[in-house]
Amino acid sequence: MSTQDLLEISKQAFMYSFFLYCIAFIAFAVAVIGKSWRNRDPVRHERKWGRISFFISSVGLLGHLLYFGTRWAGAGRIPVSNMYEFMSFLSMMIMVAFTIVFLIYRKTLLGLFALPIAVIVMAYAAVFPAEVQPLIPSLKSIWLYIHVTLAATGESFFAVGFAAAFMYLLRTVNFDGKDKVDRRQKWWVEFTMFSIIMVIGFIVAVFAFRASGYQAVFTSQQITTDTAGQTTTKEDKVEYNLPPIVAPYNSKVESMQSFAGLDQPLLHAPSWVEGATAGRKLNTIVWSIVGGAIIYLLLRLLVRRPLGKLVSPLLKGLDPDDLDEISYRAIAIGFPIFTLGALVFAMIWAQQAWGRFWGWDPKEVWALISWLYYSAYLHLRLSRGFQGRKASWIAVLGFLVIMFTLVGVNLVIAGLHSYAGTN
Amino acid sequence: MISNTKCECGHQNRVGTVLCEACGKPLIELGEAGEVLEMRYDGAARRSQRANPNFIDQIWNFFSSVKVAIYLIILTLLGAMLGTVFPQVSTFINLQNPEEYYKKTYGTLGGIYYSLGLADTYNSWWFILLLVMIGSSLVICSLDRVLPLYKALSKQKIKKHMEFLTRQRVVYQGPILERAEEWIRRATPVLKKKGYRVHSEGAALLAEKQRFSRWGPYVIHIGLIIFLLAVLFRGLPGLHMDEYVSFPEGEAKRIPGTTFYLKNEQFTVNYYSEKELPKEFQNTGKMLPKLFQTKAVLYECTSSCEDPSKTPVLKEVARHDIEVNKPLDYKGLVAYQYDFDLTPKLRSVQPVLVNKVTGEEYGKFKLDMMNPKRSYTLGPYTLELKNKYMDFMLNDDGEPTSKSPNPNAPAFLFLVKGPDLPKEGAQFIYFPKQIDKARFQQDLINEKLGGIEKKLDLDVKAMSDVDFAKSTSFLNIRMDRAMPFVWTGLAIVMLGLVLGFYWTHRRIWLRIDDGQLTLGGHTTKNFFGLRREVVSILKPLGVEVDEKSLDNGRNQE
Repeated sequence: MSTQDLLEISKQAFMYSFFLYCIAFIAFAVAVIGKSWRNRDPVRHERKWGRISFFISSVGLLGHLLYFGTRWAGAGRIPVSNMYEFMSFLSMMIMVAFTIVFLIYRKTLLGLFALPIAVIVMAYAAVFPAEVQPLIPSLKSIWLYIHVTLAATGESFFAVGFAAAFMYLLRTVNFDGKDKVDRRQKWWVEFTMFSIIMVIGFIVAVFAFRASGYQAVFTSQQITTDTAGQTTTKEDKVEYNLPPIVAPYNSKVESMQSFAGLDQPLLHAPSWVEGATAGRKLNTIVWSIVGGAIIYLLLRLLVRRPLGKLVSPLLKGLDPDDLDEISYRAIAIGFPIFTLGALVFAMIWAQQAWGRFWGWDPKEVWALISWLYYSAYLHLRLSRGFQGRKASWIAVLGFLVIMFTLVGVNLVIAGLHSYAGTN
Repeated sequence: MISNTKCECGHQNRVGTVLCEACGKPLIELGEAGEVLEMRYDGAARRSQRANPNFIDQIWNFFSSVKVAIYLIILTLLGAMLGTVFPQVSTFINLQNPEEYYKKTYGTLGGIYYSLGLADTYNSWWFILLLVMIGSSLVICSLDRVLPLYKALSKQKIKKHMEFLTRQRVVYQGPILERAEEWIRRATPVLKKKGYRVHSEGAALLAEKQRFSRWGPYVIHIGLIIFLLAVLFRGLPGLHMDEYVSFPEGEAKRIPGTTFYLKNEQFTVNYYSEKELPKEFQNTGKMLPKLFQTKAVLYECTSSCEDPSKTPVLKEVARHDIEVNKPLDYKGLVAYQYDFDLTPKLRSVQPVLVNKVTGEEYGKFKLDMMNPKRSYTLGPYTLELKNKYMDFMLNDDGEPTSKSPNPNAPAFLFLVKGPDLPKEGAQFIYFPKQIDKARFQQDLINEKLGGIEKKLDLDVKAMSDVDFAKSTSFLNIRMDRAMPFVWTGLAIVMLGLVLGFYWTHRRIWLRIDDGQLTLGGHTTKNFFGLRREVVSILKPLGVEVDEKSLDNGRNQE
């Protein structure tokens, strides 16, 4: 089979597994929600639909593995070297972690929460260009692949830990409570919901404008001061695929399609937004917030109550302590893998590529921060009173730290890893 | 402080003991009475729990607290975050005026950032102090717990207090019909089959497995300590070297501070061809490098190393093609591909001394840019090297000086003696590069120096008399004697993590009192798994239980 054929199969498999995950998610929802439908025995219904949905999600995972294998064969190397490949791999590992945890605990509901995470991460992957790119020399190392794959595996278990912890909170937070503690818990659950929807908002915005072929081009002057104190001015062209709410700092419109009456950028980025693509990144973040807010408000209008309150009755039958334990277990399984992948092998690779095992590069530091964060979590679990609610909040926030390390660092701070290029 | 530490079973416990060391009866209630027992460190008193702590004990106590350890972790985490706000000074090579640079590039905030010392967060005293404190905490926390825990686990009593059993997280109580000893005898092989070590004593039984996983956390801490020490001691002289050296093609050059010489035989850069590039990169004019390679030979100097008048005797010790992920490694001395420069560098010229008046030539000599001889004799003339400037420029006072040690614009100042010249000799400056000759106006300088340019000149007759290095490869030469300790430390950490996280210490206590079986189970992690295991152990013994019903003190909604 030729390389092109393999890559074509890979592309198809990616699409099929994505749709299978979506269908599996719906099936999990039927399994959970359908329990209260009339004319059926809830236990039998859940068992039957749980099996069906797990079967579909497993077929989806097989498709995902096929994507991975064929792309590996087609590209001649493990496909984990750019944002598209890495995020696809991460979502695949989240599904692997989910499958393992599901086989241990057999909680149908876990699928209802783990699958959306995998689907969102996979959709996020599709935002990036999917071409097979040749590698720059520093990326050609076996240690790199071990480092990236293991780190992603560890992170996937943290993702499942996050899902279980969030379920614990949805299960235990008193949504009818009026006192201060309850209100605060409700607010933060809602905030977490909103953050997830913001990511969806970003993906929807990117795909909607990509489908419509939107484009705006800016020329911006970059004034850089080099280390010797000399300033140079350079003209850069920046292409936007989302309508410019924020234009780059110090830029002129070269061409711009009108969108909803918007034919001039609304705002210009402040001067501290450095670098040629920083303005575009800021615009992307603004669009995520706007898109997220729109989707969130529409949902609120539709269901007329906080989303947390909408979801929480589904979890009624679950034992919160089990959820707490699943979350802890998933993180405990992930922690050694994460240590090995994100720190130990990263150090081995860095030693080989740059001659120093540690260089305080932002991405490295954030991997260390994630590690310290989860080690604090594991130590806190030893103390009395930290199980349950507090531990769950820490696990939920931990996933945010992981996501910042993976995506945020590239968006906000550029470092040696910036060749993993985000938009 | 509770002073009476004697248990009702007659055992004298140490101050601070939570669960009687012998029978397990709770002595101190940490939570509410009747709740599931706190089984940390098996209820043993930690070393730090002393009746009258003195000053040293207090320091010990401070570092022995897990709470303090967590605060230290969180502080380190926040400190590390601060360091990622702006690039650190260490990421710039050759930053002349960092304060101004930060102000100019990042505005007022950058200025504040720099003046707070955050531009070098990871070398700041407070960050290193935090790491040292974490190190102390690692040692003291571990010692404080591991010894009492070891003692507690190595002298466990088989028959435990009733309350100890019923307040475990996994509990079963139910009647049995046969004789107690008979039932215990029947249970033993079932437990053994599950991998438990079984100890029984009359109508009581203790089954235990995978105790080693209890040492996991302490193994992790030992590994981290080795790692931290290795990192701290790397800074000592002689243990660590980090130099950036340029190696022009075809020349053996000494690695500073060592007796090693390295020769760059050939340097190659390959770029991806248009065909290999993805569509988005094609025809954009972007060049994506595919390979950087330095064919390197490493020599060790065996004699005449320190004497500049003699040529050092070199012995080849290693030969390697250095690529980005493939450094040359010779006994801990590692050379990494770092950068390259494709501008040709002048290595030597062979000019001829010419009499400008008569046109007479006095012979050719080889002028090496990096290692010129002190004097040359050509016919009746002698050229004494007074000074050399590798990167010639005139300073503000109009005096010649060198901008850098790189041979960008080499110039040589000779004192020439011979016929028709003053007795003390005449000065003559020579620029081997034609372009510099014109740029710096060699003739004009020489006129000022004494007018010798009218009589004599140095002239390169043919291109074959010029020797260029085609390119220069920059290698990063490193030596790190602490690395083996770093890797050992990390390997121990990983071992500890695997021990502590992928195995769990499980114990099951059984006692039979008047036909009533009481079972208590404890594990370090994964009670779910233990409950499942207890069910599968009780089943062949004729006791059918539901997994959920074993769960003690929970699900009381």
